[in-house]
Amino acid sequence: MTRKHVLEGVKVLDFSHFVAGPHCTRLMAEAGAEVIKVEAQIGDAARHLPVIKDGRSGYFIQHNRGKKNLCLDLRTKEGQEICHELIKTVDVVIENFTPGVMKKFNMDWEAVSKVNPDVIMCSISCLGQEGPLSKLPGFDYIGQAYSGVLGMTGEAGGYPALSGMAFGDISTGAHAYGAIVTALYHKAMGGGGQFLDIALLDCLFSYHEMNVQVYDASGGTQVPQRSGHQHAFVAPLGIFKCKEDYLIIVAIGAQWNNLIKLLKREEWADDPRFANPLVRNENRDEISAEIERWLSTVSDVTEAVRILVQENHVPAAPILSVPEVMEHPHMQQRGIVQTVKDRTFGEVKIPATPLRYSQYPERLELQAPFLGEHNEEILRDQLGYSEEKISALQTSGVLNAKNI
Amino acid sequence: MAPNSMFEGIKVIDFSHYVAGPHCTKMLAEHGAEVIKIEPLTGDPARQLPMHKDGRSAFYVQHNLGKKTMSLDFSRPEAQKICHDLIRDADVVVENFSPGVMKRHNMDWDILKTINPNLVMCSISCFGQDGPLASLPGYDYIGQSYAGIIDMNGEPDRAPVFTDLTFGDVSSGTHAYAAIVAALFHRFRGGEGQHLDLCLQEILFSYHEMNVQLYHASGGAYVPKRAGATHGVAAPAGIFKCGERYLFVLALGAQWDKLAKTMGREDMLSDPRFTDLAARGANKEALNQAVQDWLDTVGDPEKALKILQDERIPSAPILSVPEVMEHPHTVARNMVRTVVDPVWGPLKIPRTPLRFSAFPEVPEQTAGFLGEHNHEILSQVLGYSDQDIENLTAEGIINSQHI
Repeated sequence: MTRKHVLEGVKVLDFSHFVAGPHCTRLMAEAGAEVIKVEAQIGDAARHLPVIKDGRSGYFIQHNRGKKNLCLDLRTKEGQEICHELIKTVDVVIENFTPGVMKKFNMDWEAVSKVNPDVIMCSISCLGQEGPLSKLPGFDYIGQAYSGVLGMTGEAGGYPALSGMAFGDISTGAHAYGAIVTALYHKAMGGGGQFLDIALLDCLFSYHEMNVQVYDASGGTQVPQRSGHQHAFVAPLGIFKCKEDYLIIVAIGAQWNNLIKLLKREEWADDPRFANPLVRNENRDEISAEIERWLSTVSDVTEAVRILVQENHVPAAPILSVPEVMEHPHMQQRGIVQTVKDRTFGEVKIPATPLRYSQYPERLELQAPFLGEHNEEILRDQLGYSEEKISALQTSGVLNAKNI
Repeated sequence: MAPNSMFEGIKVIDFSHYVAGPHCTKMLAEHGAEVIKIEPLTGDPARQLPMHKDGRSAFYVQHNLGKKTMSLDFSRPEAQKICHDLIRDADVVVENFSPGVMKRHNMDWDILKTINPNLVMCSISCFGQDGPLASLPGYDYIGQSYAGIIDMNGEPDRAPVFTDLTFGDVSSGTHAYAAIVAALFHRFRGGEGQHLDLCLQEILFSYHEMNVQLYHASGGAYVPKRAGATHGVAAPAGIFKCGERYLFVLALGAQWDKLAKTMGREDMLSDPRFTDLAARGANKEALNQAVQDWLDTVGDPEKALKILQDERIPSAPILSVPEVMEHPHTVARNMVRTVVDPVWGPLKIPRTPLRFSAFPEVPEQTAGFLGEHNHEILSQVLGYSDQDIENLTAEGIINSQHI
């Protein structure tokens, strides 16, 4: 049988807002799932984030393409009834409120699993569903602070630095997507419904591919600390300046020998001060000085990267700005920058989904919904509501719709 | 009947090394898949990374729990035959070599799909399987450089900095995991096997939840650039100093009203420079300074944090890794997992962030020694005789070592 994509036929009810949850349901919509996004009367707060054009947010478009939209008052009994009826018809429920909010709406896992025991419910939060910090208001950087990620970013001895993008939110959305498809697979094998508790804090903490283990296994003698443009534990791994631009050099494995040849420091191969990446880190100033000396003889950063990578097989890269990335021939050829055509906004460029399936090489054409755009369609076609009942809900203010 | 684990019966042949691929297959193993990791004769280079004890790398242990290990020279036809025979009966193949390496060893998708059309093969690379950069050597930080990530970190007028952890590798492993499971689900519902082409650069680029759109939709008027300790667009938002500690504080929307009142700066609420999100962003220096001034008068970071958190103003202390590991919340959620390695004994690593109500416990697992399961797999799975196996060893096609 032919499907338009891997998740065609999977039905999702989406109560999420801002980025982490919406990114997860975006991934699902892009894989062919049928997603109904439920928004409160005032709409997802992301609808107010820039760039705004004719009241329409480019930010919202990026994270909400391919979803149908139902806008209703979750605080009312009628609104909750509609949601419960929809929950009976779906495979997956997703939300990313602060823990406790779904319970106030009678839609916590206990209530949801009573309505539909086969459903998979995924709650995404900043700090998890339980534990002393769970009820704090959560944003990406709050998760980064509590996971030790911010503490590892910035100049040694100086202020920590914020990363200028929400990698916690987006990658947590991808983790949630991974957990949901796992649970869908398990359900298909006869495993039934279940609850998934996905937290930014857990995901961000798992990114310590080395720090936790090194601290523990060294008996606390190796304390992970931010070290600016050089790696905390291994060398040479760092950012260097060439004329006015920056590049990164990573020569911790076999490439070390290639690098010292280029630097004309072959005698370091037998020097105990440079025997392995950890020891080299203790003597990294000497290595950096040699690298900087060499860089001062090179015309520019492009040439430096060419000599390192092409001629000497030393991993290196120029530090590109976002506009430079968007214009780079490699990104152009791979189609990493996706241009979507919004009905109000016109063309918007966004990062494409990084999941590529050989059976579905083409991306689905998807639109981001207006607020409450599919109220009538969903209530009429999926729940069998009469026109009278729908207009009564509109009049009483349970439903809302707006062209934003 | 419900399966005993999420991926009971799923067989994975894993050619991956370092972090991105191994993290993916570790997640598959944690959820019940049977993973056979194939290493070269010298082993995964991650076995050289610290910390070491009696030659055993704790770094390797962290990323390879729950896998069986074989070590063989797959430049040799005999070894390739072993791989092909294992793949014939497998569900998933994962690899993260530079593009072209699998083809050189007769194990690219074009060959594997003829051996097993139902196979899900996932290739993880730094730059993807095609395009001008595809053949470059790839590491997380190289991908971050080419994805515009590192350029966004650090003080505006200084060298960029990078975060001392490989969120590109680990989260790429998770993306690969998700794509593989979606493809398995698709196959279960009657779809065919397929090849998945995932790369760090693209995954990292997708983390620009705002920059790409802002730059394009503003017609290039807004150029994303690193903004140090404070946020580039929104305010008040950033890292502040209180006593000897750094605190993150963010107050958008209604939280700004609460923060202004908490700071005793109601006057700012009627100031035309701070009327809405856009105005506050445009005057972020003044706003962030007001927050810093207030923190200076409070002086005590614990006290400041309590005031802010009681008012539900988003805020957090910047914790070090040891502080995170000891934090009561971390302890309550078992975020730090202790595994018991045969060489190391107890070893602390981050727990997998996927939490399933049907399977709340992470299974007890160890990482294989180099080639630990050569004999078991060759004899029990492929029916090789002891003599066959001895010959392979003598010819240097397979290897094993207690590391």
